[in-house]
Amino acid sequence: MSFRNALESGKFVVTAEVGPPKGTDIKKILHEAEMLKNKVDALNVTDNQSAVMRISSMSFCKLLLDMGHEPILQMTCRDRNRIGLQSDLLGAAILGIKNVLCMTGDHPNAGDHKEAKPVYDIESVQLLQVVDGLNSGRDMMGNDLMGSTDFYQGAVVTPEANPLEPQMMKFEKKINAGAHFFQTQAIYDIDKFRDFMTSARKFPVKILAGLVLLKSAGMANFMNKFVPGISVPQVLIDELKAAGKEKAMETGIEIMARHIRQLKDESVCDGIHIMAIGAEDKVPAIMERAGLL
Amino acid sequence: MEKLKNYRSFFLIGCSECASLCGTGGDPELASMKEAIEAEGKTVTGTLLPKTGCQTLGTKIELKKDKEACAAADAIIVMSCGAGTQSAVEIFPDKPVFPSNDSLFLGNMTRFQIFDERCSLCGECILDQTGGICPVTGCPKGLLNGPCGGTDNGKCEVSPDIECAWVRIYERMKKTDQLEDFKKTLEPKDWSASRKPATLNTRQKKEEKK
Repeated sequence: MSFRNALESGKFVVTAEVGPPKGTDIKKILHEAEMLKNKVDALNVTDNQSAVMRISSMSFCKLLLDMGHEPILQMTCRDRNRIGLQSDLLGAAILGIKNVLCMTGDHPNAGDHKEAKPVYDIESVQLLQVVDGLNSGRDMMGNDLMGSTDFYQGAVVTPEANPLEPQMMKFEKKINAGAHFFQTQAIYDIDKFRDFMTSARKFPVKILAGLVLLKSAGMANFMNKFVPGISVPQVLIDELKAAGKEKAMETGIEIMARHIRQLKDESVCDGIHIMAIGAEDKVPAIMERAGLL
Repeated sequence: MEKLKNYRSFFLIGCSECASLCGTGGDPELASMKEAIEAEGKTVTGTLLPKTGCQTLGTKIELKKDKEACAAADAIIVMSCGAGTQSAVEIFPDKPVFPSNDSLFLGNMTRFQIFDERCSLCGECILDQTGGICPVTGCPKGLLNGPCGGTDNGKCEVSPDIECAWVRIYERMKKTDQLEDFKKTLEPKDWSASRKPATLNTRQKKEEKK
């Protein structure tokens, strides 16, 4: 079943993500993708994440398609102007890529080419409008396309943004611009996420809760300090600490599995998006522990 | 200074406007540049602090009294902005002209000689729709439809020294009861409005209006 059909059928959908490497040796990422085959409903491919230059998202999406995966093309506005973005979207369409996740993109300042000229000719809300236009057979200037696209487009939202209100207003703009699904920034507090879902449920969109695997108490503290919009509750940090260094990863897997079970059993949202960040090989174990396999 | 090593004598031009406010091309800076050049064993044939250095015709007229000093100089050093430097290039078709400064941005002076960039001269003003705060300039990504995921307690992901422009816009529009406008999606910007090089004839425009 396609990702779109899975979401629309009401199935509890699971997506994960892989980040292409810097360089042409793709053995590791191919192995990760192989492990996730027939387990996840779709696999995100990041677009030069953290503004670090790597293999393009579109190329790896094509390899995933060839493997029988369903890829979600992450597309940021950092590196291409409106001509480049539209051209790549048409290119993705003819390769058979069906899903696109529209994002603004981390600033070059975060990455390994800090001297790069940031593009941001358009941004996430407008990129969603562009995809909607291409789906309707016209480009940004209203020119007719010779053959339209048929993308299932989504976006991201940060349920624990501070302040939350402008984030929620942007969330609504993204829905109006044509987003069908959302993959959220990492959440760790299910009760708080439930509050967000109460607002989100007013809209006809599918929400996948973002889950980042906690590998240690140190990582949790680091994210709390340095990653905007992520807040790991102290009780989880204590749990990781109590487990000790050797069992921290195991505990992180248990925490995520527990959250997944709760989100699914209580029908809090429409699915989950697992971000293992370097520990993609653990995803099958997490899914198994959560009762998804 | 590397560029100046082949020349022995210089005429210095400052500016009474921005460069004086910035403290980079006013009377005191002309004096210290003169001193620095002379300390290198070179000559300063004269200095001028024009009223408005980028006003080519006015500056040319002001320079008339310094005709001999200018003629005696191997090169001209302009201590204002890139615009002032290029006015001098126009005035001195046969003489090398060098800038002493990097021109950084159109700044608002928040305190004495402390500057913030608030306007990018983008050619298509949207301040009417963003609570009077410019996200094209104030947001490092120039976002037009609200904060990105990198905003953190009102700070920008690029630097904690930057206040998130979209949180500032939100707070202000809330205060001024304009949040309904905040909800409206802004269209992609028409960047052709800031295409380089720009020209403008406001005099002709006024005459056409009459």
